[in-house]
Amino acid sequence: MRHRSLLVLSIALTGALTVTACGSRGGSKSGGDSASGTTVTIGVDAPLSGQNSATGLGIQYGVQIAVDDANKNKTVPGVTFKVKPLDDQAQPATGQQNATSLVADSSVLGVVGPLNSGVAQSMQQVFETANLVEISPSNTNPALTQGPNWASGTKVRGYKTYFRTATTDALQGAYAAQYATGTAKKKNAFVVDDKQTYGAGLAGIFKDSFTKDGGTIAGTDHVSTGDKDFSTLVTKIKSSGADMLYYGGQYDEASLLSKQLKAAGDAIPLMGGDGIFSATYVSVGGAGTEGDLSTSVGSPVDGLATAQDFIAKYKAAKYPGDYGTYGGYSYDAATAIIKAVASVAAANGGKIPSDARAKIVDGVQKADFDGIAGHVSFDEFGDTTNKQLTVYQVTGGKWVSVKTGAFTG
Amino acid sequence: MHTLPQQLANGLFLGSTYGLIAIGYTMVYGIVQLINFAHGEIFMTGGFGALTVYLVLPHGTSLWLALPLMLIGGAATSVLIALGAERFAYRPLRTAPRLAPLIAAIGLSLALQQAVHNLYPKATSPRVFPQIPSGPWHLANIDIQSGDLFTLIAAPICMVVLALFVRKSRTGRAMQATAQDPDTAQLMGIDTNRIIATAFAIGAVFAAVAAICYGLRYGQVSYDMGFEAGLKAFTAAVLGGIGNIYGAMLGGLVLGLAEALATAYISDIPGMQQLGGQAWAPVWAFVLLILVLLLRPQGLLGERVADRA
Amino acid sequence: MSTALLEVTDLRVAYGKIEAVKGISFTVNQGEVTTLIGTNGAGKTTTLRTLSGLLKPTAGTILFDGQALNTVPAHKIVALGLAHSPEGRHIFPRMTIEENLLLGAFLRKDAPGITEDVERAYALFPILGERRKQAAGTLSGGEQQMLAMGRALMSRPKLLMLDEPSMGLSPIMMQKIMATIVELKANGTTILLVEQNAQAALSLSDQGYVMQTGQIVLTGTGAELLTDESVRKSYLGED
Ligand SMILES: Nc1ncnc2c1ncn2[C@@H]1O[C@H](COP(=O)(O)OP(=O)(O)O)[C@@H](O)[C@H]1O
Ligand SMILES: [Mg+2]
Repeated sequence: MRHRSLLVLSIALTGALTVTACGSRGGSKSGGDSASGTTVTIGVDAPLSGQNSATGLGIQYGVQIAVDDANKNKTVPGVTFKVKPLDDQAQPATGQQNATSLVADSSVLGVVGPLNSGVAQSMQQVFETANLVEISPSNTNPALTQGPNWASGTKVRGYKTYFRTATTDALQGAYAAQYATGTAKKKNAFVVDDKQTYGAGLAGIFKDSFTKDGGTIAGTDHVSTGDKDFSTLVTKIKSSGADMLYYGGQYDEASLLSKQLKAAGDAIPLMGGDGIFSATYVSVGGAGTEGDLSTSVGSPVDGLATAQDFIAKYKAAKYPGDYGTYGGYSYDAATAIIKAVASVAAANGGKIPSDARAKIVDGVQKADFDGIAGHVSFDEFGDTTNKQLTVYQVTGGKWVSVKTGAFTG
Repeated sequence: MHTLPQQLANGLFLGSTYGLIAIGYTMVYGIVQLINFAHGEIFMTGGFGALTVYLVLPHGTSLWLALPLMLIGGAATSVLIALGAERFAYRPLRTAPRLAPLIAAIGLSLALQQAVHNLYPKATSPRVFPQIPSGPWHLANIDIQSGDLFTLIAAPICMVVLALFVRKSRTGRAMQATAQDPDTAQLMGIDTNRIIATAFAIGAVFAAVAAICYGLRYGQVSYDMGFEAGLKAFTAAVLGGIGNIYGAMLGGLVLGLAEALATAYISDIPGMQQLGGQAWAPVWAFVLLILVLLLRPQGLLGERVADRA
Repeated sequence: MSTALLEVTDLRVAYGKIEAVKGISFTVNQGEVTTLIGTNGAGKTTTLRTLSGLLKPTAGTILFDGQALNTVPAHKIVALGLAHSPEGRHIFPRMTIEENLLLGAFLRKDAPGITEDVERAYALFPILGERRKQAAGTLSGGEQQMLAMGRALMSRPKLLMLDEPSMGLSPIMMQKIMATIVELKANGTTILLVEQNAQAALSLSDQGYVMQTGQIVLTGTGAELLTDESVRKSYLGED
């Protein structure tokens, strides 16, 4: 009896663990490790399963295509690049573990990721200590580069190894408010956020800018990530008389919120940041999302002539996930690392030096090239100098860009 | 306060789903004193079972036509998994120390989540669940959405049928006897293994109904939907008095109402702005749970353990 | 003349590694009252629970009405005609008296016969009839014992096993229970009685067995055992 119990128990547990293990091993197609020459690994950290995984996978495969291109073009002679994707499940603690394991792998000379600002906070110090460069294609929280007091004008860079190819919420939130009051003629906004670093930051900036631009705030509330039922909140929004809803957070909650709002008969649009700019937002939210708005960093990748080759490759390889939001920025982030590796190797007689990581950080800081999603160079804080922003609207079940411009303030 | 009727309705719809899931916890606990922590995942698989039926039906089948079939498919999936769990994981552990079945339940719960995540097509992110394409309906001050309509019909029917079944049917009486004294029930000629399996099966059917309510309400099912829903339903079962089926339903409704009212009105209380709103709802729900358990450790409708002869 | 309804041969029962019944043999004859006496922990309850299938023997045979019971699951044994009123009564506390009685007839399908037997139980124990809709948990100990006996009779058993029916009862209540046993015997019910109260039990028994630490140490008719020196010393409190 006892033996049988233990047996059943261990089968159940091993079963659970095995299936878990299968799941976390994402399909990393390494581009043919050549026996000769050096292999340089570019780490990727993003949510590859669960919530927000569509966007996370877009980052992974954006990097994959950059690496494949570099290997095919022999961008760095004698060096083969490969991708090491790690799943952070949008959890800061998991992200930190991933950062530690990337640092421990000496073949890793640069990391692209993470998706979430909250996860980035937990990783920055780990990479800083190890002198390992990290470029996020998507983090938009200003504090990550400019320090906690950026809003009051005291900008201090905390981590010299941290860069991003996405522009910040300081611009996104304000750009959204400008569009809402100016183009869309909205006067009374209800503002909701998910209390996360990204969502709460974005919502706060929107609120301030919206009031500054002459609008009023009908009410505010917070949700938790993972919430599914917004019926009570919807009733509150409806009775507040708001003519738009601004949501700071990710598409998982936003699409449900929008859907439930419209189902309850309140036809006001939901507007959000790049966190909701995802095809999944529309597919899960359904017809209710029609007319909803989002801002995203840069110019729409589908409309960029420079990105067409990338999009074609992504589609041809039938990669899962969503390249639309950050795929292009991930490609450019990986390319910045690859170019830095190239210059470091070139300066060392074609070999990777032993202090390569530190030199690559310097190399990325000096990056200056035209990427597929725009010009790539970084300012003194590690922020991109490319301040292009775009407003998208769900039209006919798809995100369609309605306004593109550089934010001027 | 003009939103009060609507907020109460919101709480009732939400609470009905909790209650339906809570039945599964409470029936199994009532009979074998086992907390089936995999019940949240049995709920989840019911949702995917129903979705599968919808997907294999010819495109464009009316949802009203599809719903009964989805109900059957969802219930069959849940029941199959619940019975498998009972037969192969819990029954062999029935005489083992209490911790063993608990750990088995947690292992099973992880295994089911991962199995759906990895094996069900495109289940790594939420899968879209069909929607009833009409509504909302206005009833006095209240909007009833199409998804809630199903809950509104299904939950009371389920409860009444269950109450009648437990009280009037032969199996129902055998179930009560087994809950009160399993050894003596056997002396009466009751096959208690069959009764325990029946309790798991009934819980699974209710979970599948709840999963369809959930799918219709939120327009999606996901491999991890059982975790939070299961936790809430377990709370509801404890709140109502675990082991008592009426308690489970009442606990669900009270929990749903508490969440709705906390979300809606706590932030209006002067000085409480920071502690109100959607994000704080679960906190208030747990405060309520703790208060109830302090005042009535056996839950709202639970018998004191001392009653167990 | 007397035919054996139950024949137990070399029965052994263990709880894990500890053997509680160590190879006992005894017989219960048709129409008789047979008594097992013995001090606390002798293995009497273990024996009865094994007979009704709640425990599985490690060795030996149980032959009831010509059929081997060793591998029959507990819930099928009552159907063969063996009813067990367990030690400590074990009535269903949150059900009414009537529901308890009806559960005793769980496997029977003859509705008129069941109704008749419920009325017969009320005739045997009028107090139960007066409180038929009352929750069984609210009854006194003696009343619960009556209910447990009544419930066991509801299956119309060939053999009724009573485990310490007088335990914890007042002397008056105990007399009432013993009188009922005599009455049941007079009606032709075969009874296997386990008692601590040896005097009362033996005086109404046809056959008696004395158990001690899992073994049967003495056998005889009720009258023989009542006069046995060692029995008087150990179980009847005489020096
Ligand atoms: N469930 C049990 N687990 C382990 N040992 C038990 C259990 N029940 C009884 N025993 C032991 O078995 C022996 C016989 O007990 P029991 O049959 O109840 O005796 P009796 O009914 O004659 O008083 C005792 O030593 C008792 O401690
Ligand atoms: Mg005993």
